Amino acid sequence: MLRIGTQGNRTGWLVLAVLFLLILLPLVAVVIQVLLPGVFFGHFELGNLSLLLDVFRRPLWYVSLKNSVILGIGTTVLATIVGTAIAMARSNWAFRGAKLLDFAVWILIITPSFILAQGWVMFASADGLAAQWLGWHGLHSFIFQPVGLIVVMTLSKFPLAYLTVYSALEWKVDRLSEAARLSGGSSWTVWRTIQAPLLLPAICSGAMLVFMDTVGDFGLPASIATIFRFPTLPYSIYSALYTSPIRFDMAGALSFYLVLLIALAMSVQLYAMRKSRYDFLSSRATRSEPKKPRKNGIYLVFGNIVFLAVVIGIPFGSNLLMSISGSSSGKGRELTFEHYKALFAGNNDMLLKGLTHSLEIAAVAAVIGLLVGFLVAYVLTYSEFKLRKTIDVISLVSLAVPGIVLGIGYIFIWNQAWLEKIGLLLYGTPWILILASVAGVIPVITRVVVGAMAKVPRQLLSAAQMQGASFSHRVTTILMPLIKGALLYAGLAAFGASVFDLAISSILYPPNFMTLPVVINKAFEDLQFGYAAAATLTGGGLVILIIAVMELLIKPSRKRVKS
Amino acid sequence: MANGYKMKGLMLVSVLMATAALSACGSNGNNEANTAATNGTNAAATTEASTEPTKEAAAESPAADASKDEPLVVYLNDFDDIVKPMFEEKTGYKLEIVSGNGAEIASRIEAEKGNPHWDVVWMDSMPTIDQMGKNGQLLDSWAPSNLGGLTDFAKGLVPANNTYFPTGEHAASVIVYNTKAFDANSAPKTWDDLLDAKFKGAIGMADPAVAAPAYPFVAWFFQSEGMDQGKSYFDALLKNGVHVYPKNPNVAKALTDGEIKAAALQESNAYTLKNAGEPVDIIWPAEGAPASVRVAAIQKESKHQEAAKAFVEFLLDPATQQALIDKGDESYFEPSVKGVNAKADRAADAKLVVAEAGWAGEHEGEIKQWFADKAVK
Repeated sequence: MLRIGTQGNRTGWLVLAVLFLLILLPLVAVVIQVLLPGVFFGHFELGNLSLLLDVFRRPLWYVSLKNSVILGIGTTVLATIVGTAIAMARSNWAFRGAKLLDFAVWILIITPSFILAQGWVMFASADGLAAQWLGWHGLHSFIFQPVGLIVVMTLSKFPLAYLTVYSALEWKVDRLSEAARLSGGSSWTVWRTIQAPLLLPAICSGAMLVFMDTVGDFGLPASIATIFRFPTLPYSIYSALYTSPIRFDMAGALSFYLVLLIALAMSVQLYAMRKSRYDFLSSRATRSEPKKPRKNGIYLVFGNIVFLAVVIGIPFGSNLLMSISGSSSGKGRELTFEHYKALFAGNNDMLLKGLTHSLEIAAVAAVIGLLVGFLVAYVLTYSEFKLRKTIDVISLVSLAVPGIVLGIGYIFIWNQAWLEKIGLLLYGTPWILILASVAGVIPVITRVVVGAMAKVPRQLLSAAQMQGASFSHRVTTILMPLIKGALLYAGLAAFGASVFDLAISSILYPPNFMTLPVVINKAFEDLQFGYAAAATLTGGGLVILIIAVMELLIKPSRKRVKS
Repeated sequence: MANGYKMKGLMLVSVLMATAALSACGSNGNNEANTAATNGTNAAATTEASTEPTKEAAAESPAADASKDEPLVVYLNDFDDIVKPMFEEKTGYKLEIVSGNGAEIASRIEAEKGNPHWDVVWMDSMPTIDQMGKNGQLLDSWAPSNLGGLTDFAKGLVPANNTYFPTGEHAASVIVYNTKAFDANSAPKTWDDLLDAKFKGAIGMADPAVAAPAYPFVAWFFQSEGMDQGKSYFDALLKNGVHVYPKNPNVAKALTDGEIKAAALQESNAYTLKNAGEPVDIIWPAEGAPASVRVAAIQKESKHQEAAKAFVEFLLDPATQQALIDKGDESYFEPSVKGVNAKADRAADAKLVVAEAGWAGEHEGEIKQWFADKAVK
């Protein structure tokens, strides 16, 4: 037992060190700017700490903080309810099109929020598609106000809650519910007093993910800013970092509040789950099998289709229409493929190069991210490491901290002259993009892998260890085969998400190393909206194709292992 | 077993370190390979052309020899497509570019301050670059050979210590109107016209607190009229229902979509719309359009000073500026050197005015904050 403990500790420290280097250090480097503004440029002077209080004095900052709190809480509540409800429906009942729902959820998770938000803006703006094609003029005034934004945000972020709850529902201990039913409880009472409380940890961590992803989201406030001014903390952080005079100290002060919000949310979660035990899975647990609903199954099918039409159809449909609308409104709204032709026309190989670079970066980042995420999940699941909770928190932080903050932090950390002597001056090389992408994908990978590992009892590993199997032997022959599917999903999701990370690549890309999001953003700035949409969809389509092919290639072997 | 595990951990760490170290070297190689590949087409020309300057540079400063193989790194926000082949062909130096919008580049330069990666910055952000000069980040007291060839307007913009040189000026804003809504008579013709009640809710502009090119526009009002007058002008404009969009492309889109009917829009955006056949027309206000000035500056500690100087000389060469106008992406600007013709369809009566760089740089934070806080109220 002692030995297991020390081993867990070693992996624990290693994982902690890696997370510290990849996530915490760059974040601290930015927040420290409030205290020591010149620390990375060789002069030590004390910063102006009253900057921290400016959040209550400066109207923009105050509004940003307020908006972030409103959006964060509203979305967390709504998305958790929606995600939980859908997860329960999906796990209880079998219906046609259920697979489509799973697919849609993954698409939403890997699609960067600015693309989704852009789609919603195109759909709901005053002269948008809803007004033009459907005559829904009221939609504009509904969407572009705080409640409307919470709804849009919910429809983009619910997958995080859905996935956590759905994976927790995969196993159930029917005895508990059956006993309650035998004692005369109605199905609602059973749900309320037994099933829901047992799901609390999953619901809480789902809510946590939603909250973090929402308060850290930059795409939505940036995209809707064209129509409705709703500055949030990430938005104001961007303004501090991306308008002259560049104010790292202000970005640090605002990031401090972002971190504070996360800490508060975590404390709430800890408080809600205090003193409870949730390791209710026993050998009596059975895999839940969705049943065919006895009646009204058609409503499920129908509801699912309507839901998907909204969450997927609206944002992606709008982007699609934009990409095939004529570039000049003078020519009217005719449909054309000119933007797609322009993507690969003549000597314009910028998109192709950007795409290649992004795919390379994303592939390497996914592999490294998978390695790190696997170890993180291993420590969280099987070790007795005393700083487990810390690892848990750090592994989530990069979800809430905007990419631009990490990006600036990466420059501070990885651009120090002395690193050159030991060959680690990574800033200015593609490796800086890979490291930053790894930091960005760790939350998703870790959550997916933790979910899968939770189902593999520790006893399996201990038994093997008793027989003398080494760590690598245990991992490669027991753990990996059992969670291969989850590893694949995690890797593919990480790959997909990295391809489009604009914030990180625009600040960190090395000379002559344009990436796909940089190319798309440039097209937007040059007023080529159709081109930008076409490039987004082409890139996205290619990524989905790669993911699908990978899945097909690896799936057969997964089945063999299972049987 | 514990030993085995320890080995594993050590291995992992060393592998991570090794990959990192290898990659640091490897990627340099990659970059060079990339450069070589992209230059493939003009490789022959480049080699021929490069022999002469190499000798020259070697004679001038032997120290420069070591860094001769390293490319010159230029941070810029426009013309990234055409400037690289042109410069490499002309001088034989290798060039690498980081392009982004003005704010991204400025942010990057600031974050790299402890260990700069750039040799030359070339952007239309004169106030920011002026501040960099005052902070001692720029090479000073060097004069390019064609300094005398600058236009009178451009000469007035060169700072006393020669830290940067203008390569062209364009309007940060001109008045653009949708021809479906107005004709030449009914459209706003001066900046004061925008306050007229008949344009209430019909005007758009970019947010100076967000869009880099919008700052030189508002800075001119604040400097020429005084801070208070400037504030009251924009207060009145906001009261007249002006739509403030984050960036110029958003303004352009709102204008063609019909959300607004006229706008203060950056010059090249305006001409791009017009040339794309959109129903817009452009008015150059008689009192002048506030200008954004593109300047080039050399980083003080640059290890590639010969190449950096060659780049600045190259930008001040009339032939280069003519090529930028004829083939560039931001081709609507007033050249900074004599003997260059601006775009034929650029208005002949285009009058530019400019806020003094030092003043604009010092007040940048204050004015932008005023706009940012104003906007949320």
